[in-house]
Order: sequence, then structure tokens, then C-alpha cells
Amino acid sequence: MSTLQGTLAAGAPAAEAPVRRVGRVTLFRVLWRSFFFQAACNYERMQNVGFAFCILPALTRLYQGEDLKRAMTRHLEFFNSHPYMTDALLGATVRLEEEHAAGRIGEERIQGFKATMMGPMAAIGDSFFWASLKPFAAALAVAGVFSDVPWAPLVFLLLYNMFHLVLRIYGLFAGYRMGERVFEKLYQIDLVQFSDRSHYLAGVCIGVGGALLVEHATRSRAALGQNLESVLLIALVLILFQLLKRKVTMIWLLYGFTLLCLGMILGLNAFFPLIERGE
Amino acid sequence: MSFDPLQLSRDALQVTLVGGLLALDRRGAFQLMVSQPLVVIPVLGLMFGQLDTALWMGALVQLLWMASLIVGASVPPNETLASVVIGGTVLLYARHFGTPDVAVQAMAILVGAPVAWVGRWLDIRLERENLSLCARADEAARAGAPFALSRLPAVGLLRTFAAEGSLIALGLVLSILCVAIARPLLGRPEVKAFEVVGIYLLPALGLAVALTTVRRRRALLLSAASFVLVLIGLRYLEVQ
Repeated sequence: MSTLQGTLAAGAPAAEAPVRRVGRVTLFRVLWRSFFFQAACNYERMQNVGFAFCILPALTRLYQGEDLKRAMTRHLEFFNSHPYMTDALLGATVRLEEEHAAGRIGEERIQGFKATMMGPMAAIGDSFFWASLKPFAAALAVAGVFSDVPWAPLVFLLLYNMFHLVLRIYGLFAGYRMGERVFEKLYQIDLVQFSDRSHYLAGVCIGVGGALLVEHATRSRAALGQNLESVLLIALVLILFQLLKRKVTMIWLLYGFTLLCLGMILGLNAFFPLIERGE
Repeated sequence: MSFDPLQLSRDALQVTLVGGLLALDRRGAFQLMVSQPLVVIPVLGLMFGQLDTALWMGALVQLLWMASLIVGASVPPNETLASVVIGGTVLLYARHFGTPDVAVQAMAILVGAPVAWVGRWLDIRLERENLSLCARADEAARAGAPFALSRLPAVGLLRTFAAEGSLIALGLVLSILCVAIARPLLGRPEVKAFEVVGIYLLPALGLAVALTTVRRRRALLLSAASFVLVLIGLRYLEVQ
């Protein structure tokens, strides 16, 4: 087998052998390991150790000796993608490894597949999970907390993980079943369109949460009257939003406006003592 | 309320252990989002029987770090470590020093927020340290030793837990000391000033940060419309 793969790696044609399948248990082991995909993330080759760690149960089923060494080294090349979308790539790579072990394809095809697909997969995962689903689920749960719903954090976890876990499990098995065509399948699910819509839902949730927060704030104090305070608070949100859009960081705004706020209140109180000292 | 330093240390250790474990979810293990402030602080609140305060704090801290996203190779501020320190400070204050009023909550956020940036620095350091794991993985591959390679993620997780747990412990001790010492020294004007920060400024900043995550102009308009409608509805219900 080793000689056969060595010939294939060099690009020469070779005789085909029957494909040996890794089995369902091995795929479940790959799936379990994928939850620790980023545990050894490093600056040089990013998630390479994670990828090799995840695919290792399949490699040990398919190869031994020198072939195993080559396969392990192959998967320690640079790899950087979205952790949830990597399951689909893992499934497809296991399928390619099976075909490589049977002498049907060369190892450069596996390398090429990983290198080509990690970018697009990361783009889909980043825009869907990080930039859309997470803000939407969090905004919904925050609005829930401000409406006195004590189990709102559970809604956040359920909503987020419903998509996360389904896509991970489905991705791995679809990747294994479809091999290199898995990207087409994931593209058909149209996560990009869903992520576009979730921005609107997140917007509504933030609006509702904001209104509840303003109501809570003005009801608890209302030194100037509820309506005037609501308007002032909205104006403050808009000023801070504009500053954030102009790349002023949150930490600067937090401490800058706190100092401004404390200075104004304590300064004004020094000249016009409305609040008496003492506890 | 009697102050027991031994009990406080035990509680701080509990916060450190639970917070350190939940913090692993942020990048190293599972990524089920149990490391988000909205979940971490209520979990700590359940531990200390202060769920209401913890839910409110969790939601507020979540808003403040809503835009903190791990996209690609970027390393954003570590909101989980900050939320453990902020939540832990408020909850331990409630258990050992008295009712955590709005001034205490605002002070906890102001004192605990820099932990997110120290956490970011720590995350970068850990990724650099993990280069040694990469080298060990190469050795394992050359030797054809799958078991040696399989151990490496566990080593990475242990490193992360030790480093982040230490930061939580240090941040928590400093934060609780600051708040517990400073709060009784504040006069009424200072307390009022911190209340204004806690009731108006922090929620306003949180909402502004949350709005930056909405990437569509129409969605922003929708957000404004739903805001106005709900506010009018609430006022109408109040009048009724």
C-alpha cells in the first residue's frame, strides 16, 4: 500500500483497490473530537493540531506504519476555518482518505480540497453564526430578561445550539456521504439568506429590549419626568452609537462617559448642593 | 451581616473554578455559548441564590460585549473572563457585605471591564505558547504515535484553564477589594452619580454596542420602529 500511495503522490496512475469504509462508530468519534477542535489553536498553523486530532480515529482505521505517519503529517499543515463548518470538511476529508487508501486518488487532491474549501466554509460560518445567529439569539434573550422572563438564557442556548449542533452533525455525515460535493449541499441550505433575515429579527429584538430598558430606567428614577428622560436616554444611545461607528472603542466610551458623568454630577452638586452629603 | 474571610475565600474559589470551566467553552471546548455573559453570570447567581440580580447583570454585560466576535484569526477582548469577575464581585458582595445596589453594580462593571482586555492579551500569549504543541504534534506524526497527538488538545485545555483561572482569581480578589473598600467611603452625591452611570449610561452604551451588530440599514429602521412602538405601548398600558 505504501508503495502504491507513494506512486500516486508523485502523480503516476496506479491500479485501484476496493475502498475500505471507516464505519459509523469512527465517524461518531470524529464528531466527538470535533468539539475540541480549537483546544490547541496556535499562531503559526492555526487549527492544524485540532484537525489532525479530529481525523485521527479515521486515519488509524485506514493506515498503519509509514502510511499513518504520512497521513498524520498531511493533516498537520496550516488549517483555518469556522469550527462548526469544519465538521462538513472533516466528513468529506474522511471520504477522500478512504479513496486515497484504496489508491484511487493522490494525496495532493486531499490537500487541495482542504485548502480550497476552508476559506469559503469559514466565510459562511462567520457570517451565519458569529455575525447573525449569535447577536439575534442574544438580543432575543436580553429582551426576555428585561421582560422578567427568568428562563431567557435557556432560550438563547436552545435557539443557538439547535442550529449549531444540527449543522455540525448533519455536516459531518453529509460531508462523508457526498465527499467533495458537500459545499454544494451546504450552499443549497442558503445560510447566507437566513443570516440576512436574522439581522432584521435582531433589530426588532434590540428595539424591544431597548424600550424595556428605557422604561425600567425612567420608572426607577424619573427625576426629570419620564418622557424627558426617555428622550435624553435615546439621544445618549444615538450619540454613543455614532461614536462606535466612528471606531471609538467601547472601553474608551465606558470610562470617558463615566468620568464625564461623575464629573458633571459632582461638579454641579459642589456649586448647587441639591444632594446632601452623608449616607 | 458578619464578614467571614475564610468563607469569602471559599466562595471566590468556587467562582474561579466554575468560571474557569465555563470559560473553556469560549474557544477550546464545545462552543455551546455557555461562556456568554448572559449564561455565565446567571449560573453563578444560581450557585449563590441571587438569580434576579445575576440575570439583570448578565443581560447588561451581554449587551456591552455583544460586538465581541471571534472572526477568523482575530482575538477580541475576552468577555467571559470579565463577566465572571463582574458577576462574581456583585454576587460575593451580596453574600458578604450587603445589598448590591446600583452603585455597587456599576462599580463592579467599571472595575471588572479591563479584565476583558487582559484576557485578550492572555489569549494571544496562549496561542503563542501553543506553538510548542504544534512542534510536539509534528514529532508525534514523524514517530507515527497517534496517542501522543491525541493528548495535545487536553494539554491545551489544561493550560487555558490554569491561565484563565488564575486571571479570574486575581481579578476577582482585586475587584471585590476595590468595591468593598470604596462603597462605604462614598457619600450620597457619589452614590447618586454611580447610580446615574448604572441606570442610564451603562444600558445606553450596551444598546449602542448591540445596534452596531445590526448590519442592515433597514434593520436599524425596524429596530427604531419597534423601540418606539413598544415604548408607546408601555406608556399607554401605564396610563390605563
